Amino acid sequence: MSEQRPSRIEQVLELLIEEIMDRMEARHKTASPTETEPPAIEDVSVPPPAAEAELAESRVEPEAREAEASVPEVEPGELPPPLTGPSHAARLMGRLALWLLIATVLINVPFNRHGVTLATAMPDAASFVIRDGFVVKEEDHAEIYVYQNHKFRWISSLDAFEHYGFTWKDVHIVPDGYLDRYESGSPIHVLLKCKASPHIYRLESGKKRWIRDIDTFVAEGHVWEDVRFVSCQYLGDLSDGKTIPPDSGPPPQP
Amino acid sequence: MNHLAVIEAILRNRQRFFLEIRRGVDLRIKIRAMLVSGIVFFALYGSVMGSTHSLWQVLSSAAKLPLLFLATLVVCMPTLYFFNLIFGSNQSLTQIFCLVLTAITVTAVLLLSFAPIVMFFLLTTSNYQFFKLLNVGVFAISGIVGVRFLGQGMQIASTGGQEGCARQVVVLLWILVYAFVGSQVAWTLRPFIGAPGLQFELFRQLGGNFYTNVFASIGELLGFFIVG
Repeated sequence: MSEQRPSRIEQVLELLIEEIMDRMEARHKTASPTETEPPAIEDVSVPPPAAEAELAESRVEPEAREAEASVPEVEPGELPPPLTGPSHAARLMGRLALWLLIATVLINVPFNRHGVTLATAMPDAASFVIRDGFVVKEEDHAEIYVYQNHKFRWISSLDAFEHYGFTWKDVHIVPDGYLDRYESGSPIHVLLKCKASPHIYRLESGKKRWIRDIDTFVAEGHVWEDVRFVSCQYLGDLSDGKTIPPDSGPPPQP
Repeated sequence: MNHLAVIEAILRNRQRFFLEIRRGVDLRIKIRAMLVSGIVFFALYGSVMGSTHSLWQVLSSAAKLPLLFLATLVVCMPTLYFFNLIFGSNQSLTQIFCLVLTAITVTAVLLLSFAPIVMFFLLTTSNYQFFKLLNVGVFAISGIVGVRFLGQGMQIASTGGQEGCARQVVVLLWILVYAFVGSQVAWTLRPFIGAPGLQFELFRQLGGNFYTNVFASIGELLGFFIVG
């Protein structure tokens, strides 16, 4: 009876299997070299519990050691083992902090000549804080108002605007109709006077209105601080408006 | 030791961290790491808050927010230490400081994690009152989690004794005092956000208080009245 010889395909398969086995073994050795190393290396990286306790003891602050001495000793196995997982949280925190720093710088870089930044670009009148001294102008109206004592007061002239120390930077543009929600107060006027003349005039819409006497001055709610001194030439060049009170006769010139 | 690794140790393995504080292991390293990380994180969050107004406000808030927490810590620390001492605690001042700093650091980390959300709202909305209340909410959540850490830390790090229960009450009361002092310090150091429509101010004039302002903001946000 003749012995059955392996076919050619079987021979090739056997060779292939042998080759795969050899390679897997070689790869396994490359992947875990420490397994074949002597255990002395592991001893260096992970100290035995006793050595760890000694190491921890050497790092104990003296002040805390005194406090610890008066209490029962902590059991050697009391400290939970340190986590050995990947230290991803610290890295993430660092990256988040860096990212935030960059983002904060970027959103604060002005992107147009008015100095508008991404962080302040979103316009919304509702975001304004209304408090005394808040100056506004509606988009399609020339009048400027200032908020005082819970009311918006019209600033009646450019002189008054300057007299009270406002600048164009203070003026906030709001949508039309914004001021309708609020109560209006008495207008803010500036009173003009020149040194050479005893007369006081109230400036309204570019015209000077003569205030007849002190009683009227007081009755209109003015105070001496409202008076702004200008040159008589400037005052004389302004056109006359109605006198205060009306029908007080022709206004005298300064 | 890497500063951030210390912070990670607080977050991932707090039991061990508090026990190390109890044993006094590496306290100075821990304190330095928490101080540095906390200051950086608070400064970053402060700069995000201040971005709503101007560059000066960014710088101002970045400096004032760490100052707020550290000032509150300094003001409130002696109370906690001496009350704990009275009720039988054996912890040193450094240990107590380390524990409170842990709470503050946790608050700082949480604020840092909230910062992208706050920045998102900063870029997509511009309602001042909403932004202010959003920040109050963020601070409240972060602060509550932070003081919970403090409570746990005191429990783990305290060294027994017959008056442990009383000390827990002391910690609870101290947390209330801490919150109260913190809100007043915040009110004193304001503005942190910077009111739109107003010029930059390093400090705003005193008057009112934190709580009435929060209620007024809620009222304005709901349309009841306008904060004057």
